[in-house]
Amino acid sequence: MSFRRYFLGRIFERAYRGTRIGYTAVSVWLRYKFPRWWDAYRGRDPDERDMTQIHQRNADQIYATAVSLRGMMVKMCQVIGTRSDIFPPQYVKTLSQCHDALPPRDIDTIRSVIEEDFARPIAEIFTDIEPTPIAAASLAQVHGATLTDGRKVAVKVQYPDIEHIIRTDLTVSRRVAAIYSRFDRNPMDFLPLLDELQRHLRMELDFRREVESAERIRELFKNDPTVVIPSIYPEYSTRRVITMEYVRGVKVNDKKALETAGVQMQGYMTRLMRIFNRMILAYGFFHADPHPGNILVNPDADGRPVFTLLDFGLAKQLPEGFGLGIFELMFSMMTFNETAMLRAFDELGFETQTGEKETYLAIARRMISRSESGTFQGEFTEEMTDGMFDAIRENPVVTVPTDFVLVARAFALLSGIAHSLDQRANALDALGPG
Amino acid sequence: MADQHELDDEIRLDALEFTYDELLAEDPYEEPLFASGVRCHGGYVDGAYVSPRGRVRRPAIANWQQRLRDAGEPLVYVPGRYLPPTYPNYAQAKYLLKEGVTEPITRSLTIISIIEGFGARIRDVPVPDLRKEILEDIAGTALAHLDGGLFEAHARDEAGHRDQGGHKQMWESARDIGLAKPHIPGDVLMRLMTGSSGRGRGERLFPDLSERLEMLITTMANVLVVETFADNTFTWAQQLLGDPEVSADAEAANHMVTCIASDEVPHVDYLTAAISELRARTLISEDGRKELRGKEVVDAIFSRQLRGMATRRPQENRERFREEIHQAIDNKARASMIARRFEDLDSGWTFPHGDDEELDILLETA
Ligand SMILES: Nc1ncnc2c1ncn2[C@@H]1O[C@H](COP(=O)(O)OP(=O)(O)O)[C@@H](O)[C@H]1O
Ligand SMILES: [Fe+2]
Ligand SMILES: [Fe+2]
Repeated sequence: MSFRRYFLGRIFERAYRGTRIGYTAVSVWLRYKFPRWWDAYRGRDPDERDMTQIHQRNADQIYATAVSLRGMMVKMCQVIGTRSDIFPPQYVKTLSQCHDALPPRDIDTIRSVIEEDFARPIAEIFTDIEPTPIAAASLAQVHGATLTDGRKVAVKVQYPDIEHIIRTDLTVSRRVAAIYSRFDRNPMDFLPLLDELQRHLRMELDFRREVESAERIRELFKNDPTVVIPSIYPEYSTRRVITMEYVRGVKVNDKKALETAGVQMQGYMTRLMRIFNRMILAYGFFHADPHPGNILVNPDADGRPVFTLLDFGLAKQLPEGFGLGIFELMFSMMTFNETAMLRAFDELGFETQTGEKETYLAIARRMISRSESGTFQGEFTEEMTDGMFDAIRENPVVTVPTDFVLVARAFALLSGIAHSLDQRANALDALGPG
Repeated sequence: MADQHELDDEIRLDALEFTYDELLAEDPYEEPLFASGVRCHGGYVDGAYVSPRGRVRRPAIANWQQRLRDAGEPLVYVPGRYLPPTYPNYAQAKYLLKEGVTEPITRSLTIISIIEGFGARIRDVPVPDLRKEILEDIAGTALAHLDGGLFEAHARDEAGHRDQGGHKQMWESARDIGLAKPHIPGDVLMRLMTGSSGRGRGERLFPDLSERLEMLITTMANVLVVETFADNTFTWAQQLLGDPEVSADAEAANHMVTCIASDEVPHVDYLTAAISELRARTLISEDGRKELRGKEVVDAIFSRQLRGMATRRPQENRERFREEIHQAIDNKARASMIARRFEDLDSGWTFPHGDDEELDILLETA
């Protein structure tokens, strides 16, 4: 490829991506603004309008654009999918599906990344690599393969052009955000979100970091027979490739398959909660993405569940004392002790612009009221987390620490798993000595 | 005040049946209890601390116990020789504090406060329909009131309720008063989560009984054992935090622990009553076809729980504490020196029974 064609190609691609993103942004914006103008013209109160359908249509369009453009758009969807404190539930639900809906790249593209990173022909590393991936996601896809010594492995390979695409998308998004803020009289500030996205991406693009995270968690659980972290082969891993032990197992929320595999279900969720309590509350470094695709289960000799944790791309270090703060928050919610709740919110780093505390209590009360029993017993259900985030969105004076959002989301994901198994994800119950 | 007078009229000296609200009713406090600025339960009457929710609960428990005595039934009781001493003992803990090694003591006190808080879980213990699973009548017993206010009152005492702190907050306060608001080590929850509960594997001893009934008996036996063990912890904390040589405010810290200790009395008493009532009755199997003597069931479960907790816990504590001393001191030579002296002060202890023969705990009745 001549330099000129390459260069033009890139410019064209940038223009195309820019147009698609820009077009999507404008449609979304108009879909919000137009009804407001219309209502104002007809003398109706625009705040009375039910926005659910508009949110849903916008989310669908963003989703479609993301699936076709991939790259940062997908990543952005994932981030939106994790930020229920900012975005309405329609967005969170729709865009968090981005993950599973991407058509895979062809195997030659994947091979070329491996050969580039190892600077060797692929045959010297793998005798065999399955052309159909096990899974494809925003940054990478995973293939089954066999090492030259015969070991069966899973290889996670980053898309080759991903760094470039992401840089383009970030530039475009910044520009779109800037233009938008000129048109909207009360603009929502997207720039911090883009910054956060960029930080995340820089971390996630270097797979060596993911490997490091996996090793830290492995060390934490080295004496715990209830957890498996797949072995990673460092000699076959690079910045864009992770080669791991291939793990079989049943998806953590697949009730039928778990029964077929003979997994004992009594105490199943308590066991899983203990694992996450140990990371989140006790250790302060955790796997922040416990969606069902990332946890596999096998029965041990007695039929008790052993959980395999996959995908340490989103692993998070919490500040010292944060776990204890979360515990205190849960505890005070259990006992309805509002003074203690306030102290816990404070310790966790919640802030209000005005310094008044009533907002926190409103948030906590809202959460508790969304639980089935009207009391909090130790489980952050999805409904409760949704309730909390609704309250937070309605009270823009509150600043929620990102760490808290990630922890609440992790607990809500676990609660989702529990519910598909008719169990509970009670964090307080799973906190005592085993 | 009108309510309280009515209440007075209602509690007859020999009453045995009480409503839920009565069992939670409070004494008319002149002043509430504050622990390090945190409002707690209970309060002062005529200048003396009076435990919470005792206005009716206290006489009620006394009446149920009296009824057992009148019937010639023994009250279960754990003799002192089965109680492991607190580890580290007072001399060891004092030595560490004097050497400025505060962290392990802070950690222990914090873990105590959290475990006390977990006492609230007793309200979630499912209580089966005892009228169906016990042959004899249970009207007018503590057993009949477990889920009718006794468990709830216990839960609130331990964890606090609404704007009133409970033992969790009171222990935190005793720690903060005595050790002058120490830094809380970041690994307390890790310590809490690792190690065994000492509760044994929880296998069913009496599979003929309904699972709920066996669970209920096991839980009550457990809690009673824990509450009895706590006696030593109170004495230890009163000595240590009440020692002006190492405590920042000996009098206030000691008072706080004394308040907690007095609140625990009704817990031991109602559990003693309920377990002794069970022991004096006949239990019915789940299928309704078999009858089991309460005495056999209770004694077997109680002995297993007591032995498990009295042996495993102290041993784990010892091993763990050694590590913690080294972890708290940067200088290796100094750490070894302190650890050696610390060990010299160990009073040691082993469970008095080496074999599995039935313990004579229940023979030494009150
Ligand atoms: N070691 C492994 N063994 C077997 N399957 C794996 C392994 N690692 C990943 N997978 C499969 O690939 C999917 C995607 O991998 P993951 O690491 O979660 O990628 P991403 O970060 O893109 O989500 C997983 O959900 C799982 O199905
Ligand atoms: Fe207590
Ligand atoms: Fe107690």
